[in-house]
Amino acid sequence: MSGLFYKVTYPCDKVRDFMYDYLDGNLPTVTAIRFHLHLNGCAQCREYLFLYKKAANAKEFRKEHPAPDALLASTLGFLEKEGVTGPEDDAPEEPFPKGNP
Amino acid sequence: MSGMKPSQSIPDFEEINSPEFLEMLLAKGPTGQRAFARMVQGTHDRFLGFIRRQLPSQEECLEVLQEVYLAVHKGLPGFAGKSKLTTWIYSLAHHKICDRIADRDRGHKELTESREGSRSTENAGTDRWSGITSWDAPPDRLMARNAVEGLIGKAVEALPGPAREVYRLRDLEGLSGEEAAEILGITPENVRVQLHRARRQIVDWVQEKMAGVRNAKEPQAGGRGSET
Ligand SMILES: [Zn+2]
Repeated sequence: MSGLFYKVTYPCDKVRDFMYDYLDGNLPTVTAIRFHLHLNGCAQCREYLFLYKKAANAKEFRKEHPAPDALLASTLGFLEKEGVTGPEDDAPEEPFPKGNP
Repeated sequence: MSGMKPSQSIPDFEEINSPEFLEMLLAKGPTGQRAFARMVQGTHDRFLGFIRRQLPSQEECLEVLQEVYLAVHKGLPGFAGKSKLTTWIYSLAHHKICDRIADRDRGHKELTESREGSRSTENAGTDRWSGITSWDAPPDRLMARNAVEGLIGKAVEALPGPAREVYRLRDLEGLSGEEAAEILGITPENVRVQLHRARRQIVDWVQEKMAGVRNAKEPQAGGRGSET
């Protein structure tokens, strides 16, 4: 790519520094035009933007399996013992009380 | 399950952050206790995931989370809705995690001093990463599912402390700049600067690794145009 290209658009490093504001939609119009012109002609910055977006959207591919129920039960049991959540005083009564032969 | 009330729905973050819910939490007796149990049900997995991404063992994470909930219970009367309840809980969790890591690093330092030179730095890095990811999937499975996403996960571990903390809260947890600033005790502008720096460092790191893989696949492929 010619030196003129980088003058008319921006140097790669500057383009990459604009990516934060670009994703937030905060690039001023003229800057955005030069930013896009640069991307059209620069495969490296296109790849960079792809990865930058991926990094910014990590929440979407964050692997989050629900924790086993036993862990929640353990926490609730712990808090009950500490007097934070209290016993199940209004739990529905069991239809067939245990303990009888 | 202990404390579970199947008749009451599990509240989402929006409900938990409402003034009405806070009022119930602050109520004395069974109303407050029930509200607290529901709040735990609505936040447990999310905060456990947050802690799990930073501490290696499941037992330790659960212990930290339980400490966090105790601190929430103790601090509730003074909380007074100055910020979102969940932001405050993140903040408590963040500080507990920092304490744990500081304790562990102290212990680790003492241990390494007594066994000087016996471990390679490469192994230390691998241990740290495998600990962080084991909650979700082993690193090799992550890589198989999506190489780039796996590399980003590893790159996060290579970030320097402040940038990593900001990145985790903003891009992994999805908190706002203001929330992250409040939790970390820095300005929103500082969050912005650190976040951009973190993202750029991640991309640079990932590109470096990808270039390594490409070079390994094409060891003798001279003559390819290399644009800079
Ligand atoms: Zn470029």
